[in-house]
Amino acid sequence: MIQLIHVSKRYDQRPALSDVTFEIGKGEFVLLMGPSGAGKSTLLRMLIGAERPDEGQIFVHQKNVTTLKPSDIPYLRRKVGTVFQDFRLLPKKSVFGNVALPLLVQGISSADIRRKVTEALRAVGVEHKRDHLPAGLSTGEQQRVCIARAIVNGPVVLLADEPTGNLDPALTSEIIELFKLINARGTTVVVATHDPQVMGQVNRRVLTLEQGRLLLEQRVME
Amino acid sequence: MVAIVTTAFTLACVGIFLLLYVNLRAAAGWLQDDVKIIVYLDERLAANSVAEVEQQLRGDRAVASMLFISKEQALGEFKEQFPSESHLLEGLGQNPLPASFVVALSPTFRSPEAVKRWAERVRQIAGVSKVDYNQDWIDALATLIRSIELIAIGIGIVLSAAAATIIANTIRLTLFARRDEIAILRLIGATTAFIRVPYLLEGAVLGALGSALSLIMLKFMYEMFRQQMRTTGRFAGLENLIAFFPPSVCFALVAVGLGLGFAGSFVSIRRFGEAKA
Repeated sequence: MIQLIHVSKRYDQRPALSDVTFEIGKGEFVLLMGPSGAGKSTLLRMLIGAERPDEGQIFVHQKNVTTLKPSDIPYLRRKVGTVFQDFRLLPKKSVFGNVALPLLVQGISSADIRRKVTEALRAVGVEHKRDHLPAGLSTGEQQRVCIARAIVNGPVVLLADEPTGNLDPALTSEIIELFKLINARGTTVVVATHDPQVMGQVNRRVLTLEQGRLLLEQRVME
Repeated sequence: MVAIVTTAFTLACVGIFLLLYVNLRAAAGWLQDDVKIIVYLDERLAANSVAEVEQQLRGDRAVASMLFISKEQALGEFKEQFPSESHLLEGLGQNPLPASFVVALSPTFRSPEAVKRWAERVRQIAGVSKVDYNQDWIDALATLIRSIELIAIGIGIVLSAAAATIIANTIRLTLFARRDEIAILRLIGATTAFIRVPYLLEGAVLGALGSALSLIMLKFMYEMFRQQMRTTGRFAGLENLIAFFPPSVCFALVAVGLGLGFAGSFVSIRRFGEAKA
């Protein structure tokens, strides 16, 4: 599903990623761990074509992202859901409106939008808040809405960049369980985090980055 | 709203010059239509030679109509127009006034250049002594119209660019205000066209509305001007000689406004996209 082959990236001569190679199979749940500045966000941005590596190749869902034309990048991103630490919800749109956005940009019919958005909101447990604006939601609810937006069009991969960074331990636990549920339905999940609580909760594969290098790859046993 | 009003004022300035140009050109057209060319015949031309000249002129496709003025008729008209001066000719004994043909040219041959060329050609006809068409006046008229045309074009280009820039800046501010939304749309798979089209349409609509408002303002000023002419003794009656733009020109001007708005918006969006990259 995801393949990085000798990927390197530099910003002003400072290496963000150095010769990173790994593969993530379909349906896996992978934690990308490392301190701030390790290169986690850069790596995730490269998976959706928002950054290009200086060296190496990246494949996502059989597409070579490094050679993708700019006009084809939107179609890659429709298959990859993204969740952010700062949620990035549109403040003037309701919960329903925010979650419907990925479907609107694809020109999907209103009836299908209603159905899929309702399903996504139900899956994350915020259906009762569909008409609320983001400002009227708690932090945990906002993150759930962000996750609903990321999964509403049934992506093959879900990327989450520090999704629990703004959440307390209880909410962190809830959100990670939600990711596990999404993964159980077949979506490949990659979560970038420096939170050890997440590692404790996820008994899967962990890739550790430090100063742009892949230091460690381990499987955490339950 | 501010952008629409500012665009309207800018385009109204263009409209004033355009209206002035259109009406002056129409007035020049009427004056040119009224131009008569006088083909003077040689003093002692025999009657059959006069008939030959007449036949040649009538056969010329540039001639719409012509009227023969005999020497006697010319003398009669002179006495009518200048009754106090007629004694000057009586003192000469014989009638010094030549016979002539008063010629009106067809519409396609009435431009100053065409009249000049025709006159040059007719001067070469045997029996023609002189061709008079007030050439200085026609040349001056052509120069005036050309000058106004160039000024109108120059001002039109400058102010149209100003209108497009106003709209470009409005769209640029909108794009900046919505940059977070645009970033999110990009991340969730919106194509460039999906993101750009609403702003292109917004620019086009701003331009069209600005143009339409400028026409309303112009029409108001035009009617005020006509009213002023009507009530001013010296120009009373002349208000019927000026005209506003016909509907087809109004639609075309709104379309130009739409195009300027679209262009301004397009430039802003391109620059925004490059800046983001």
